[in-house]
Amino acid sequence: MATESDFKCLRCGHWFKTNYEKNKPEERTCPKCGSNSVRPMPEKKK
Amino acid sequence: MDVGRHPKINLLAYSEVEDISGYIGNFKVKVRKKARYVDEVECTSCDDCVDVCPVVVPKEHQLGLASRKAIYIPFPQAVPASYIIDEENCLGFNPIACGKCAEKCDKNCIDYDAKDEIVEFDVGSIIVASGLDVYDPTEFDEYGYTRFENVLTSMELEILTGPGGVTKGKLIRPTDRKVPKSIGFIQCVGSRCESRGTAYCSNICCMNTIKDTLLLREYYHDIDCKVFYMDIRAFGKGFEDFYRRSKALGVEYIRGIPGDIREDPKTKNLILSVENTTGNGIEEYELDMVVLSVGMVPRKDSNSINKLLTLQTTSDGLLMEVHPKLTPIDAPTAGVFFAGCCEAPKDIKDSVTQASGAAARAASILSKDKVKIPALTATVDDDLCKSCGICVKVCPYSAITIDMKAKEPAKIIEAACKGCGTCASECKFDAISMKHYNDAQIIAQIDAILEENPEEKVLVFACNWCSYPGADLVGISRMQYPTSSRIIRIMCTGRLDEKFILHALKLGAPIVLMSGCHPADCHYINASLKAQLRIEKLWNKLERKGIRPERVQFEWISASEVGKFVKTMEELEEFRKSVTKKEIEETKKILSKSKK
Repeated sequence: MATESDFKCLRCGHWFKTNYEKNKPEERTCPKCGSNSVRPMPEKKK
Repeated sequence: MDVGRHPKINLLAYSEVEDISGYIGNFKVKVRKKARYVDEVECTSCDDCVDVCPVVVPKEHQLGLASRKAIYIPFPQAVPASYIIDEENCLGFNPIACGKCAEKCDKNCIDYDAKDEIVEFDVGSIIVASGLDVYDPTEFDEYGYTRFENVLTSMELEILTGPGGVTKGKLIRPTDRKVPKSIGFIQCVGSRCESRGTAYCSNICCMNTIKDTLLLREYYHDIDCKVFYMDIRAFGKGFEDFYRRSKALGVEYIRGIPGDIREDPKTKNLILSVENTTGNGIEEYELDMVVLSVGMVPRKDSNSINKLLTLQTTSDGLLMEVHPKLTPIDAPTAGVFFAGCCEAPKDIKDSVTQASGAAARAASILSKDKVKIPALTATVDDDLCKSCGICVKVCPYSAITIDMKAKEPAKIIEAACKGCGTCASECKFDAISMKHYNDAQIIAQIDAILEENPEEKVLVFACNWCSYPGADLVGISRMQYPTSSRIIRIMCTGRLDEKFILHALKLGAPIVLMSGCHPADCHYINASLKAQLRIEKLWNKLERKGIRPERVQFEWISASEVGKFVKTMEELEEFRKSVTKKEIEETKKILSKSKK
């Protein structure tokens, strides 16, 4: 089930929250710079 | 009916597909022909059995608005036009309880002991035309579908007004059996709604309502028709004229969806509250009847056929085609095609168009002795394969088979393989290689690019279908991207094994970019998403090793997004400058020490 998780844009460094479901990838875009290099951050990194 | 009579069409009614195996040109299909308990050849549909049958149940074909007996013909045009015994409701399976139809039938057509029959076929191509279901609006409690008798669905209105319906085409109000004086249609019930029903537009409802209003105004001149809508979608040849005709006949279109429906307990009239968004604020309407224009939803039982043919669905549950623009009729499984609403809601014209296309596509396979396949298929090294089955799970085309229990090596069905390379990238034992774009060729390109001054280069792996042509279009458009960019073409981002990226970093690449089709446009169904998942895992792995994940980037760039390609390469060139020689050297040391 999808839950809201932290993401970090590896292009501009922006952090944001969006829905995430493990092993269910989908097209994600950084709301700040528009890059797709958006990394779901593990729980411990919060 | 023509289909039933056609000498070259074998129509299997009242049957279910149990199993499908094989591949394009060589499918084997196992079908269960359910027992009808009536000899369909001998039966003359004389009706004698129906007359004596004591069981009365709601008739499914007329949505329960009429009744049928336990021995029945599902609908008047059914092929074959012979009776079926409803096993669940018939009393005749206990001869003491009944058996009247068998006693009455002069031709002895009734056989309570009939058994299901399994038949098998060899077919070259399969067309899926499993359709959609009509949305059940029960959860829209504010419209009182289960509480107010005069609230119907558009399908129920169709049954009421159809010539073969219970009232022989006469529209009556359920509570008093009189012709209603006013009728309201509420659009988009179960469509275009994120929380209930489906998020997509069901495509046909607007035109169906317009058709209903025209019919009603033509047959009952004084009936007051009101349509409550968000926006009328009357696209298509002649549709706008149809809409205008409806308005010219006096049908009132009110832009707003009612918030609720109440019933006057005395008159059974329905009172609708609606915000008219064209400027008149909250309005109330009292109507004799309300019709909920319900949308279409994926069939509840569609999963079984999807599994048999390894078909994939969108998040809405609609069947997914190989490519929405280039191959809109083809299923991911080679030799399988779609016709009708199973792929997306569509009207009769579009369904017929797609069915004709599907028939032509199927005929193009059947007319040949051999099928052409790409020369880029995968091959398995039997000695290296550990029969783990990962390749079978990730293949978007179900082109790999394996017997894990017998520990047999994986087998590639070459006729079904499209050469995306996802299996080769996912195989942990390097047991799968590709014909062309193989590991050695890709590694050789990386070596050549990074042979001199690797720290000055941005290495790009671009997919053959979107990002590589996108880069090409930059040049054709006389635009420029930084000269530090070095592009390696791969068929799909799904082919991008982490070992290529690690190899590049080990040779001193400051930045590696993986770029491919947007997932919705992926030419290999969902291979690009599999690649994204792999990159997400790689980021975690790099971080564990002490390498900045930022040095591996990915971007979805379509063939027309030249601006995005240029912007990405300019940003990465700036980023490349921030990667110091010291960092590159440390990365090389870390990766030289690692085993994999």
